Amino acid sequence: MTPSAARARGGPAGAVASAPGGLRRRRGAVWYRSWRLYAGAAVAVAVYVYGWQVTQIRLGELWRGAYLIAPFASALASPDVFVRDNPTVRAAAPFYYGGESPPAAPAAPGPALRLSRAAGAIGDRVTATGAGFPPDRSGVLWWENQIGQRQRLAAVTTDRAGRFSATFTAPEVQGTHNLVSVEIVTGAGPLRLSPTFFVVLSRMVETVFLALMGTTMGVVFAVPCSFLGAKNLTGHIPGGRGVYALTRTVFNITRSIEALVLAIIFTVWVGLGPFAGVLALGVHSIASLGKLYSEAIESIETGPIEAIVATGASTLQVVRYGVVPQIVPQFIAFTIYRWDINVRFSTVIGFVGGGGIGFVLQQYINLLQWRQAATALWMIAIVVAALDYASAVVRERVV
Amino acid sequence: MDSAILRIEHLTKVYPDGTRALDDVSFEVARGEFLVIIGLSGSGKSTLLRCINRLIEPTGGAVAFRGRDVVAASRHELREIRREIGMVFQQFNLVRRASVLTNVLTGRLGYVPPPWALANYFPPALVDRAFGSLERVGIPDKAYARADTLSGGQQQRVGIARALMQDPALILADEPVASLDPAMSHSVLRYIEELNRTDGITVICSLHFLSLARRYGTRILALKAGRIVFDGLPAEIDERRFKDIYGEEAVEVEIS
Repeated sequence: MTPSAARARGGPAGAVASAPGGLRRRRGAVWYRSWRLYAGAAVAVAVYVYGWQVTQIRLGELWRGAYLIAPFASALASPDVFVRDNPTVRAAAPFYYGGESPPAAPAAPGPALRLSRAAGAIGDRVTATGAGFPPDRSGVLWWENQIGQRQRLAAVTTDRAGRFSATFTAPEVQGTHNLVSVEIVTGAGPLRLSPTFFVVLSRMVETVFLALMGTTMGVVFAVPCSFLGAKNLTGHIPGGRGVYALTRTVFNITRSIEALVLAIIFTVWVGLGPFAGVLALGVHSIASLGKLYSEAIESIETGPIEAIVATGASTLQVVRYGVVPQIVPQFIAFTIYRWDINVRFSTVIGFVGGGGIGFVLQQYINLLQWRQAATALWMIAIVVAALDYASAVVRERVV
Repeated sequence: MDSAILRIEHLTKVYPDGTRALDDVSFEVARGEFLVIIGLSGSGKSTLLRCINRLIEPTGGAVAFRGRDVVAASRHELREIRREIGMVFQQFNLVRRASVLTNVLTGRLGYVPPPWALANYFPPALVDRAFGSLERVGIPDKAYARADTLSGGQQQRVGIARALMQDPALILADEPVASLDPAMSHSVLRYIEELNRTDGITVICSLHFLSLARRYGTRILALKAGRIVFDGLPAEIDERRFKDIYGEEAVEVEIS
């Protein structure tokens, strides 16, 4: 708005209004003349500059560190859910460190693995040749140390005559009596669910039940407590104000402690495992549900109750037909919502030893078993999303 | 039995904050009357109606319903008295989440054994009766709808059906049409009038509009600051009396 336009508008309005002073002051208040604007902007800039520094935001790391997370990203695309038990043909030959030579193996018919040398030292170049294998198949050459731990040396493919040859560097391992083995895949077995899948599934079931038990504990204690935390009920009894204030304060303090912190406390108290998680979620749910229930009771309409009292109904009937229909649907909706939150939350409670799927997920991540971790993550995502949807549908029906 | 169904003597109500809502109110209501109570907001209409069935405890005075002392009644006696007095409210006071049928059935709670409530049981005969009540107010098809899905006029008809379930000798209607538009107001009042004429149910009804009071009342009682300032036939309210009741600056508004 130009100043002249502002004056033109302010003129007649000022003549009519009983307090033209207000209008006159407003005329100068163009937004870019307000010092408050610049002060506010300066404060905002200072806050965000400090925030940027204190939280150590370095966007470059997202790019530089990308290669570290790349295996996980690709693992997400191929989670460890299915495995194939492929039939293989195996042959092995010993390779000793430390000067000792392995005993000569008796010649046997069938597939055989031969090494260019049977003894040596770390870092030696060794050629492995195989013969008598099925033709045109691929497989893997493994190094097995003295206690059976194995690492991959090379991928091999047999030629038309069933032979292959591969050269590798003797790896650095503990122990001296090593074994080089080859496994040639000869066919394709049936697909089946992987052991990881079953581990993750059983932990997911544990998680859902952990949430269920925690929610149940919350409901059992929150329902009676919520009546003490409802102002419209406690207002009528002697000392009710105190009871109300005490209940609400306990709810608020308990709720302000994160369930994760409670879980740590309970793992100290009752030991690692799902029970600690149940207690943590339960205590947190008591406070959260108690507050929601109390508010539902407070929002009750007195009109219908008055109407039912006026029909000559007894107290029991008034509660059943005037109070219950007003609070029970809300109680159910809040409870389902809480269970939903608890399922989500119990997936991380395992990180602090509270049981559930979080426990195995953390292990997989620590061991860099990305595909297994991906399986756990997908399981969480699917189950939580499904429960989320189900609870939304149920809540919509109830309320 | 004398012809007065309700006798009120020296009824007084003083609220804890000192408000004198009713001040020495005495009158009788004859069987079959359609008594309209008028007066400004805060003149004590709602308090008077609620003192009759003791939704509000009177501070002093006596209320006799069919010869029984309401004020001195025990809890049990009070339930018996209340179940014979139907009540219709300005805000309908239905349980919103419950079905229309359940709302109507609650009108009969004073007659069924309280433990049945735990199983939400009503005998089939009562359910039939509830459908009958809904038919009388013209909405039998809404029986299974949730109460809050109905329009205001329909909800008030459910309120009337609920009162009807009590088989009442008296219906107290507290501003039954104040939340409704004029067309709906007449519709609802006609249902109440029909109960009054056909079933012989005595009605005490508070109303805002004098035109409605004239149209439906067989007798009008006016309250001002908790006192009765007029008690007579609708035709007797002239300009002078109108200003006595509503104040010198009031102008009568017609509602058609």
